[in-house]
Amino acid sequence: MRFVFVAAALAAWEAAAHSGLWSPLLFPSLEAIAWELGRLLASGDFLLEAWVTLERALGGFALAAAFGVTLGVLMGRSSFVAALLDPLFSGTYAVPKLALFPIFVFVFGIGSLSKIALVFLECLYPIVIMTWHGARDVNRALLWAAQGMGASRAAILRRVVLPATAPFIFAGFRVAVPVAMIVVVITEMVSSADGLGYRVIYSLSSLKTDRMLAVVVVIAALGWLLDRAVVLLRDRLIYWEKLDTYYV
Amino acid sequence: MRLARAGLLLLVLAAWQLAALAGLPDYVLSPAEILRDFATALGTAELYQHIGASLARSLPGFALGSLAGAMLGLAAGVAPRFDRMLSPAVFLSYPVPKIVMLPIFMLWFGIGDLSKILIIALACFYPVFINAYTGAKRTRTILVWSALNMGAGRARVFGSVVLPSAAPMIFAGMRVSLALSFVVMFAAEMINARSGLGYLIRVAENSLRFDLMWVSLLSIAILGYAGDRLLRWSRGRLLAWQEEPA
Repeated sequence: MRFVFVAAALAAWEAAAHSGLWSPLLFPSLEAIAWELGRLLASGDFLLEAWVTLERALGGFALAAAFGVTLGVLMGRSSFVAALLDPLFSGTYAVPKLALFPIFVFVFGIGSLSKIALVFLECLYPIVIMTWHGARDVNRALLWAAQGMGASRAAILRRVVLPATAPFIFAGFRVAVPVAMIVVVITEMVSSADGLGYRVIYSLSSLKTDRMLAVVVVIAALGWLLDRAVVLLRDRLIYWEKLDTYYV
Repeated sequence: MRLARAGLLLLVLAAWQLAALAGLPDYVLSPAEILRDFATALGTAELYQHIGASLARSLPGFALGSLAGAMLGLAAGVAPRFDRMLSPAVFLSYPVPKIVMLPIFMLWFGIGDLSKILIIALACFYPVFINAYTGAKRTRTILVWSALNMGAGRARVFGSVVLPSAAPMIFAGMRVSLALSFVVMFAAEMINARSGLGYLIRVAENSLRFDLMWVSLLSIAILGYAGDRLLRWSRGRLLAWQEEPA
């Protein structure tokens, strides 16, 4: 019952593939895709390629997480920093940072660095904004209590502000992780000689649709697994509170 | 505070300009040069054609995706049986980068605008769906009970209670979608197009026309910003009774 739609879509796909109405180029059958998927997963080259993509996504994400949480907490706890940086973030929020990619290619080169830089920039926004909101709304009674008991500023930051902000930080991470995958794949599709996005375009150009869809399945699985990893980490670390929103 | 902000902006621009005078690489133009090139480009028909082509892809995609997302999300939010069928599929495919479907969409729907509009619609569907779904689910039960008690039918409850209370969430989702529609539009045009701002930036990149590159960049930035402002303005008009969630 739960996966009725998924099953129906797969069945419809298989029926379309075997109906003979369309060329197998348009609807490769599921077994052809599965066969290609098996071949890809068995080859070391492809796993290396997947690792390149993953490395770029995680590298940019890790940088954005480190900078974003720091900036967000600063903005949340200092109205001066918030007033200074808020126009920067809210003003450029809706601007597609992807447009900077050609310039990044000139600045950082066409290799991994330009892609990591763009992932960093795109992931920074959700993390900063969510962390900022969390750090700003820390319960004042808790802060007063800690101050009253003589806690130092560093202790308050570590023992009160960070735990109270943690659910928001993870909500930001959950938005940022799919963004990281999207940006990596786009940049690899646009200009690259390696990575999964490149393999999608390469398979399409060589009219191997079944192989292309197998790569798409791998990208989808990676995106899904990364999201699960963040959820798992969150549930381990933050057992006291749950925020179930995806967006601000 | 406003002074500090304006001062910071001026400081950055001045530093940039000075650095450019002192000699930056060719691909970094000074703010003055970018402004001059942008003003020149505004005088030509070419820029407007590219902007028009881009908007003709992103706006229908955004409208289509948001509409489908809002309708299905609301339906899943109020109808538990529909929810159990649809939601697992949506939440399962949510973290998947939708842009990888572009090549297969190009095979199915042709290489023209239709495949691009549909991929934008697909990307825009998710944020609006999830927000409409959460918004409808979060409708306060007591309001629904009151309406039922006062003799409202199911349709009336939906139109006068569920819809207004989910509307702010739907708008928040649309805001995410609008930004996303520009990203996907730009990506699709960089990958494969014969017009549009993404195409323009690729041509400029390949022919080392750095002035055109910055013009295209500035245009897309202005479009994204203006679209966001327009959406927030219409939100203020339509949902005047509700405070904007921070």
